[in-house]
Amino acid sequence: MSVGALTKKILEAALFDEIWDAMKVTFKHMFYKPITFQYPREQRTIPDAHRGALGLLRYDDGKERCVGCDLCEAACPSRCIKVISAEDKSLPLQRYASEFYIDITKCVFCGYCVEACPVNALAMTKMYEYSTHDKRTLLFDKKRLYQIGEQHLADAKKYLYTHNQEKNDDMFHDYRYFFPQSVVQSTQPPPRHLTS
Amino acid sequence: MGLKPATNPDVEAATIELTIDGKTVTAKDGVSLYDVIASTGKIIPAMCYHYTFDPFGSCGMCLVTQEGKKAPVRSCTAKAASGMIIRTEGDDLFQARKKAVEKHLSVHPLDCPVCDADGHCELQDMSFQHGVTNLATAKQKLIPEDTRSLVLDFNMNRCIACGECINICKDVQMIDALQFMKKGGFNQVVAKGDTPLACAFCGDCLAVCPVGAITNKFSKYLYKPWQLRKTTTTCNYCGDGCQMSLETKDTEVVRVTSLLSWKNKWGERSETAKGHGGLCVRGRFGFQFIDSGERLKQPLVRQSGQLTPMPWLETVDAAAERLAAVKAKYGPQAIAGLITARCTNEDLYVFQKLMRAAIGTPHVDSSARYGHLNFVRAVRRSLGVGRMINDSEEITKAKAILVIGSNITETNPVASLRVKEAIRVYKAQVVVADSAVTNIGKLASHPLLIKPATEGLFIQALLKASLEEDLIDAEAVGKHPAAFAALKQALAGVPLDALAGATGVTSAQIREAATLFAEAPRSVVLCGEGVVRRSGGYQQVLALVDLLWITGKRGRPGCGLNTVVEEANEQGAVDMGVAPEFLPGQANYGDDQARARFAEAWDVTLPTGRGATLMEILKRCRSGEVKARYLVGENPLATLPRSCDVQAALEQLDLLICQDPFMTETAKLAHFVLPACTFAEKDGTMTSQDGKVQRVRETMDSLGESLPDWHILAAIGSRLGCTMDYESAQDILREIMKLLPGYYNLGQTKKIAPVADAYLSEGYQPDVASRFSSRVTAQAASGRTFGLTVGQLLYHSGKLSTRASGLMTIAPNSGRLRMSPADMERMGLTDGSRVRLTSSAGALELGVQSDHALPSMACFFPEHFNEPPVKDLIPVETDPVTGVPAFKQTAVSIEKV
Repeated sequence: MSVGALTKKILEAALFDEIWDAMKVTFKHMFYKPITFQYPREQRTIPDAHRGALGLLRYDDGKERCVGCDLCEAACPSRCIKVISAEDKSLPLQRYASEFYIDITKCVFCGYCVEACPVNALAMTKMYEYSTHDKRTLLFDKKRLYQIGEQHLADAKKYLYTHNQEKNDDMFHDYRYFFPQSVVQSTQPPPRHLTS
Repeated sequence: MGLKPATNPDVEAATIELTIDGKTVTAKDGVSLYDVIASTGKIIPAMCYHYTFDPFGSCGMCLVTQEGKKAPVRSCTAKAASGMIIRTEGDDLFQARKKAVEKHLSVHPLDCPVCDADGHCELQDMSFQHGVTNLATAKQKLIPEDTRSLVLDFNMNRCIACGECINICKDVQMIDALQFMKKGGFNQVVAKGDTPLACAFCGDCLAVCPVGAITNKFSKYLYKPWQLRKTTTTCNYCGDGCQMSLETKDTEVVRVTSLLSWKNKWGERSETAKGHGGLCVRGRFGFQFIDSGERLKQPLVRQSGQLTPMPWLETVDAAAERLAAVKAKYGPQAIAGLITARCTNEDLYVFQKLMRAAIGTPHVDSSARYGHLNFVRAVRRSLGVGRMINDSEEITKAKAILVIGSNITETNPVASLRVKEAIRVYKAQVVVADSAVTNIGKLASHPLLIKPATEGLFIQALLKASLEEDLIDAEAVGKHPAAFAALKQALAGVPLDALAGATGVTSAQIREAATLFAEAPRSVVLCGEGVVRRSGGYQQVLALVDLLWITGKRGRPGCGLNTVVEEANEQGAVDMGVAPEFLPGQANYGDDQARARFAEAWDVTLPTGRGATLMEILKRCRSGEVKARYLVGENPLATLPRSCDVQAALEQLDLLICQDPFMTETAKLAHFVLPACTFAEKDGTMTSQDGKVQRVRETMDSLGESLPDWHILAAIGSRLGCTMDYESAQDILREIMKLLPGYYNLGQTKKIAPVADAYLSEGYQPDVASRFSSRVTAQAASGRTFGLTVGQLLYHSGKLSTRASGLMTIAPNSGRLRMSPADMERMGLTDGSRVRLTSSAGALELGVQSDHALPSMACFFPEHFNEPPVKDLIPVETDPVTGVPAFKQTAVSIEKV
């Protein structure tokens, strides 16, 4: 080792040159805008296609969309959905879910249930905060699912549009709204989507 | 018959040859081309085809090309002819079939997600198979659902007009309750005359509907087929032994389906001679008792006058201790047992083993004593066999059938289909002798309406007519001239005209009936509750054997004497030796050798002496000889008339153990109430009336703490020091197999041949002298001119079915006496007016309703209901030989109040 090199080494050691060198990056970053979110004080923007907690939806007039067809239950790969269906005695041919359960601890957020739903009663929302001390509250029942659906209605609709499940179009609305076709009288006019 | 002729056992059809897809095929002449193709193993889609009836040809799916014809032809309605060259595959045929599916779909609503048939729908399968994704034109029928019927909903939007429901109702059930009707521009299936459907509700239309047009009200919208666990088991209602599929969701029975379905549609028409796989209303819609809220869920023990719940271990210990105490104090003879014939063979076997080996009492009986034992004892004595002689195929192919005292379409609806098929397909002559206008009588060639309680006289008249018309088979009677002389002498007393007069039919009709019965190559007798459950039933069955003997039908193939039974396993109860006179395998209890064999197998000494029958046990309870009773599923308090004093007899007991799925009237008096499972929660086997030993399978977990009967019995038996270390019903089955080799026949009836000439050569002559009435007494001496019958309804079976809400919806207890409309008019009665009913045993006031099935001077009340207690009006008559109590019929007077 030459004298010059040795001198340089001693000098660097005496002046903590390596520490300065490392701190340079730190001090430089003091002048950058931070990219860390201060969760939960700050919330991230989530894309519309995000697969979050499931919610059940209603039509604009408050009617339940779900017809209790059990297709979501059949489509679910982790078997976390249980639908108990019954006959709605007040309306001919109306079937509805008297009970509806989603065990969200088992859910793998694949979204197959949403795809299977013939009336788009199920949708995924941007909600992901449901950590709890009591695991039993994670078995979402019908009431909780409708509550989620109501709270996140806009997100749920966006999810359906993004995934090409639903078009914001009157004819498509009618098709779902009048499914299944309730025939009270044989003289009643057919729904719009069938006449056009 | 059309293109699907049944195989007539007498005529063999000619053979033809034709070419199908380049291969030469031989077939019978005159059958449908579709069947010929199906017999080669090729399956052509068809939605309106089912093997049980003639091809209908409405769906347009079974298209094939025939050389020489431009357009494809429908193979189902085309007759197979010699030299045809047929092609069944190809793109052109696929496209043609696809067009047919599109045609059906264009008027079919796409409401699959809410349809009950979703996932079990032929139109869905066909659309998928043919890749129908786009429809050029779609139209909605917009027909409101017809929900008027109590059981079935008709959604004619979904109907594809295949006509399967109409055809099976007309051709197989011969009920003809449905029809096509043009309404609102579409052909719709409606009940006859567009009225609310009120039929036998067998539900076969529901089973064969390939779409969701006919749905079941009791399970509507409750399920999707893929959610249900399907277990095939044996029905628990009557002795027909129908196989059915219980479909369950966790611990809930959602629906019952039959093996008959649009899915298994391929077969030979002749196969239906063994049964078509359908069910009746009780089997299909009477399942709700299984998961009923009324079920007992915990063992109950009487403590200071109250039935209080107790854990199983303590209950079993206490029950065994009390039994041992009674045995120690009064001896084993003070304990008696009674079990219902709705239990499995394994339960019955363990029960009699518990009573005989563990306790050491010979007093053990079953509910087969209420009638079936009259039949078994009679055929054992005279023919040496222990059950009915013919299997269902032989009944179907009979040429003459004598149905006597059996409203078979009501009591055993599926067995009645064998008679109906004999009439329809095999053109049998049927004589129906009954005191009511029965449905089978309406279809029969010779319906004879006899006066109530004259079945015995009618049989006597038939014998007399056979002698007078010289219908005697010389060979059969030639072997036993002494016996024949005795029979002649016994019949000499009363002239035929007097007998005919007493039964209410003309002697010419009786002669005709006797002639056609004797002259047919295959003649079959079917006797039911009108014979075996009435006083003198034993003698009447023996008289029917005489009829078979002198006309030369006894022992001839295809001929024989048969019965129908009310409870599912009455035959099994007799076979398992749950009767004081029999050991398992119907070995004679008095036979020391047989007793020694079982004593060795069970490692005990068996009690000697004759055991008491059901009625004798009751008498001994009253006299204090019997101190403890073990009842399994039996409810004598609700079954027997009040004159038997069941209540007093049971209250005198030191110990009454009731083992039942429900809290019955009798159980309320019991010291121990043990909750038993229903048939749906246990494994085992049951023996049908014609000797088929069939599986009962566990379809769901036991409700609450209830246990299978054999489990409870074995637990008590083990505590009484008998080795009963069964871990499952299979272990018991294995033990029975060792003791009775060949008893388990996998549901295939073994042919039995009547052997006994022995009876005719000895013991016959003293017997026959007392068999027939020597004079005909005019009834009505007491002024009681009406014949009251307490009997079975189509929609119920015993008391069990009253726990099934579905059946109670269809047939609730009206509490009214049924009378013929003519009588009501004569007496100035209308529906609901009240009458006073007086018999020799008492009087009762109740309402009336009209019933067209009843002839004049007859009245009827269903035996399933005790409100009002009509059963108490009937005096009990016990058969001196078999000890069978008869309490179903009596003479009454009716006054308007």
